[in-house]
Amino acid sequence: MPGKTPHTNGNDPVENGINGAEDIEMKDDAPNPLKAGKGKKAKEGEEEMTVVVPPSKGSKLSAPPPKDNEGDVAMDGFEEESGADTSAPKVDPVAQTIADIKSNFPLLERAVALFDARFSLRALRSISSIRKRLTPDILAQVIAETYPSTSPIAKSLLVALDRENITFGKPVSSEMEIDVESKTRNGKKEPKEIIPEIDVFLGILTQIYYLDSKINQQGAVFSSRLAERIHSLNRRTLDSLSARVYFYYSLFCEQLAPLPPSPSSPVVSIRPALLAALRTAVLRKDIETQSAVIVLLLRNYLSTSHITQADLLISHTRFPENASNTQVARYLYYLGCIRAIQLRYTEAHEHLTAATRKAPSSPSAAGFSQTATKLLLVVELLMGDIPDRATFRIPSLERALQPYLHLVQAVRVGLLGEFENVTRQYSDTFRRDGTYTLILRLRQNVIKTGIRMMSLSYSRISLRDICIRLKLESEESAEYIVAKAIRDGVIEASLDRERGFMKSKEVGDVYATREPGEAFHDRIRACLTLHDESVKAMRFPMNQHRLELKNAQEAREREREMAKEIQDGDLDEDDLGGEFEGM
Amino acid sequence: MSERDLQDVLRKLKSSHSYQDSLSLLSKAKITLLKLHALTPQPTTSPSILHAAREIFEAGALLSIRAKDPDAFTRYVHQLTPFYELPSERLNPANSEKNKITGLYLLLLLTQGNYSGFHTELEGLELRQEGGLVEDDRFLGYPIKLERWLMEGSYDLVWKAMASREVPSEEYGVFSEILTSQIRNEIASCSETAYPSLPISSTKDLLFLDSEGAVISFAQSRGWDIKDGRIYFPNQAKAGVDEEGNEKVLSQMAIENTLGYARELETIV
Repeated sequence: MPGKTPHTNGNDPVENGINGAEDIEMKDDAPNPLKAGKGKKAKEGEEEMTVVVPPSKGSKLSAPPPKDNEGDVAMDGFEEESGADTSAPKVDPVAQTIADIKSNFPLLERAVALFDARFSLRALRSISSIRKRLTPDILAQVIAETYPSTSPIAKSLLVALDRENITFGKPVSSEMEIDVESKTRNGKKEPKEIIPEIDVFLGILTQIYYLDSKINQQGAVFSSRLAERIHSLNRRTLDSLSARVYFYYSLFCEQLAPLPPSPSSPVVSIRPALLAALRTAVLRKDIETQSAVIVLLLRNYLSTSHITQADLLISHTRFPENASNTQVARYLYYLGCIRAIQLRYTEAHEHLTAATRKAPSSPSAAGFSQTATKLLLVVELLMGDIPDRATFRIPSLERALQPYLHLVQAVRVGLLGEFENVTRQYSDTFRRDGTYTLILRLRQNVIKTGIRMMSLSYSRISLRDICIRLKLESEESAEYIVAKAIRDGVIEASLDRERGFMKSKEVGDVYATREPGEAFHDRIRACLTLHDESVKAMRFPMNQHRLELKNAQEAREREREMAKEIQDGDLDEDDLGGEFEGM
Repeated sequence: MSERDLQDVLRKLKSSHSYQDSLSLLSKAKITLLKLHALTPQPTTSPSILHAAREIFEAGALLSIRAKDPDAFTRYVHQLTPFYELPSERLNPANSEKNKITGLYLLLLLTQGNYSGFHTELEGLELRQEGGLVEDDRFLGYPIKLERWLMEGSYDLVWKAMASREVPSEEYGVFSEILTSQIRNEIASCSETAYPSLPISSTKDLLFLDSEGAVISFAQSRGWDIKDGRIYFPNQAKAGVDEEGNEKVLSQMAIENTLGYARELETIV
């Protein structure tokens, strides 16, 4: 691992520190080896697939979070890191970081010039590697080198970083550096206009610095100002950046004093800002911000369990179809959450399956797929299905899903006692995952499975036996429960009230029903949509075909000309050379 | 119209016993609140007014339950929600009827068959409950237990809970009647599919009816046949008829699907 990060060993623990800051809920579930193996390469695109889960139930969150070893390690690692950065003055990494940050500016400029969001996305992607080395001094220096000292934006950024005096003391030397460094670019002295994209990019870096050093209060204030500024700018090339700004803005608010489950938490107070951002984004057809803000709002509502509001939001907005994959995955997850709470399991199942499939497979997003899978498992159980055993063997999920494995086993056999043991034993875990209330609903499923098992194994069984086996309170209860199971189509049987037994009907041949045909049809349809989507996802450079056409046409013309000239016999060397240069 | 008027109305409201009087007092109180800009809690509203407002809405909610007016009750519950969400520094949660009213609201959702609303509300409760389980609360535990029994089908337990008059407060009794007829219908629809036939005498116990006469009239209302002291369910016979028609639909579907696959294959290859 140390070999992978080029600069200092001291930087390594930061990985953990970052995670600690971002996904408090998840980190105890993320398996250790994965975290260690999370090199720079793995982080590439999906770093920002931070796990977004509604905070756990109960008031335990209001105490300073982590409860287990790994959490402590993360915290220690973080302190260690900040200590190392301030005490040991290493010149090389600083200069390297500054260069790294600056290397993104041409990308942003190109994004504006070519009007192609992919370049700004690339710049955003590099944040994850810069993040570890970020200090206020580095940021301040970058700002001082980029802006003319009179720029109000630079000033505000520096004030936010608490470095306004230090850096403006040496603008001359930094200008010198520009000359030295940017020979590759047009590093002439003429004051170049700084595009707002760069302002916002530096703003995001500042936000990240606040977030990683847990200065949440200031971070929230700074973010709200940054968001206001973005609001006033109407530039399509800013979209992906502004989405990120709102993301961190709401992250700050979540970590401020009264933590989310409490109704007076700051998350409630940023709702108007987010809703306004959503409105503007819709009007400007700003898909990036639109999708990001919808997801943030859903997360926000769910964190205080305002499920009705979240549902209303969904019914009143249309999630942009071509939003980025990570946002779609998150959106589907929240949608699944809401539908599961509303007992619409089929829909919930559909959304959650899609969410787990869309979840990036890189280890940094393990937390998200864990959370989504947990919920998916519970929903599958609620639908009366037994989840696939293989799910529990996937290395990145195995440990986190342990309690759920026991749960599934209890439900599968239909033992009510076992089921109650499991829920009691893991109630804390389930509450933290936010699946506890859903799991409580499983009780009836356990009973139904039990009845189904009995109806399959006995052609006739007395109600008393059913009552004993399911540990029910009375025979009357058993009778009603079995009657309900028959009505709901769980079992094929009939009851005899006078003699007090249940008589199972002969099980028909499954292959004579439409079921296998439907299953087959479903799978084929899934394959076809996959094919269609991959065709749609193919990318071609803009106007490339026209260019080729033009080239082909030109070539043909030249050929014709040449043929003509050869025919005429007056072709000489110079002509040929000239032609080729022109190409 | 000042805060004193409000307190005045509130005092009168508490002592009043007739429904009509209370109703007019309530509307007067609400107008006063509106004039004080305290119909929904504002950041500037003083704690004493908040307190009074909450009491007025709670009185209104309980009153509308007693008057069997579910719409009015739901309205009061919605008006109370922002008050209940205030932090305890601003509005002391002591001696509020929050759990009682929330429990009643849950019960109302249950009797309306609005299970998704019920669970949505419950999810919020789980999260906001500080210390202690929701199920252990006297007022909230009752509807939760009822729901669980209803879902799993232990209708006899529901019946016992209501028959024993173990309701947490008199307002809860209002729902018993609705619930009884609801579970009776549930049991009836279960019996239709579960039993080939039933003797009238035991149907009486099954449906929690008082007399055999009541069983006969109930059977007639659902269109059941009564022969030789047994009840036969006509709906069961129908089930067999569909088979033939099904076959046709099935093969048509298969043909359609196969044609669809062929078309798709053509576009791909």
